[in-house]
Amino acid sequence: MDGEAPLPALIEAIAAGDRLALRAVYMRESTRLFGIATAILRDRDAAADALHDAFLRLAARARQFDPARGAAEAWLGGIVRHAALDLARRRGREMPSDDPTLGDAAVEPAMLETLDAEAQGRRLRACLETLEPRSREGILLAFVHGLSHAEVAARLAEPLGTIKSWIRRGLLRLRSCLA
Amino acid sequence: MSDRPTPEEERSALAGEYVLGTLDARRARAVERAMAEDPALAAEVAAWEARLAPLQRVAPPEAPPPGLWDRINDSLGEARPAPPRPRRDWLWKGWSFGASAVAAGLALLLLVRPPAPAPERLMTVLLTSREQPAWLVEAGPEGIRLAALNRQPAPEDRALQLWALPPGATVPVSLGLIPRDGGSVAVSATAIRPEPGMLIEITLEPPGGSPTGRPTGPIQFIGRLAPARGS
Repeated sequence: MDGEAPLPALIEAIAAGDRLALRAVYMRESTRLFGIATAILRDRDAAADALHDAFLRLAARARQFDPARGAAEAWLGGIVRHAALDLARRRGREMPSDDPTLGDAAVEPAMLETLDAEAQGRRLRACLETLEPRSREGILLAFVHGLSHAEVAARLAEPLGTIKSWIRRGLLRLRSCLA
Repeated sequence: MSDRPTPEEERSALAGEYVLGTLDARRARAVERAMAEDPALAAEVAAWEARLAPLQRVAPPEAPPPGLWDRINDSLGEARPAPPRPRRDWLWKGWSFGASAVAAGLALLLLVRPPAPAPERLMTVLLTSREQPAWLVEAGPEGIRLAALNRQPAPEDRALQLWALPPGATVPVSLGLIPRDGGSVAVSATAIRPEPGMLIEITLEPPGGSPTGRPTGPIQFIGRLAPARGS
C-alpha cells in the first residue's frame, strides 16, 4: 500500500490486514490524534495508552468505516476520542483538573476561533454562538476535555440536573441549527 | 404546546450525549450495544460525530512519545490476524480504491452541501380509536421502528400484534408481537419492505399472537406511512 494514498484507501487496506497502511496512518495522523487524546486525559502517559488502544480498534474495525457517513479524519478522531473517554471512565475521570489551559470561560473564544479554518467549522461556530453561554461551555468542555456531567457542573458551579438539561437542550438546538 | 421532547429528539439527544462523552460507562456501553441492533440510532450517532467533528481541531496537535508505534505494532503482533477478505485481482483493487476516493469526495461534498440525499424516510403516528397518538413509527430501507408515545400495556391475558398492509394488498403481514414492557420495537426490512401508503396497525390478540396468521381481534392503533418531511 502506498503511504501517500488518500486516507479512505489506507483505511480500506487496513481492513484487509495491511500493517504498513496502519503505520502510514499513524505517521500521518498521530500528532493530531495524540493532541485530541491529551486534551481529554491531560496526561501524556494516559494519552499514549489511549492512542495505543485506538489503533488496535482501528485495526479491528477498519471495515466499518463508511465514507458516506463522514470524512475519514473525523472518523479516526472519533475512535481516538472514544478510546480516551473509555480510559477516562476507567480511571474514574480522576484527571488533573487544575490545568491552566483547561479553564475558565476566558479560554472559550480562543477555542471557537480554531473552528474558522473551514466552512463546516464556521457553521458549527455560528450555531454554537446561538446557544446559552453555559450550555455552549458545557458542550465544549465535554467534547474537547472529556468532562463528565458532574465535572462540568463542578466547573461551572451549577447543579448537576441543570447542567444535564442545558447540555441536552443545547444539543437539540445545535441539531436543528445545523439541519 | 408543551416543550416535551419527542421520542425522536430523545434518541438524538442520547446519541449526542454519547458522542459528547458525558454518559457514564454503563450508559455508554448500552448505547454501543443498542447501535448494533438499531440502525437509526447508529445513523444518529454517526450524524453527531460528523456535526461535532470540527471541534476535534480545538485540541492542539502534540507529538506522541517515541516508541508508541512499536508498542502498537507489538500488541497487534500478538493478536490474531484479521480474517482474510476475498481475493481480488489488481483491476478490482484499483477500482475499489478509486471508488473509495470518489465516495470520500462525495462525502466531502455532502458535508459542505447539506442536507444529504438520504434514502426515503417514512413515518406515521398510530392513533387510538379516539384519535389519540400512541406510537411514533419511522421506516426506511432498513426496516420499521416504533416508539411508544403513551405506553398502555395490553390486558394481562392478551397480546398486541403488529401488522403491515401494503397499498393494494388485502391481507396484512404480521410483523410480530409488541413486547409487553418495551417502549420501542424494531422490525428489520427482511420481514416487510416499507413503502408510502402502507397501513401499520396493532391489534389485540390471544397470548402468543393470532392463531390464524391474520388479525382476529380489534384494531387498537392504526396509521399510514407517508414520506417524512424535513428533520
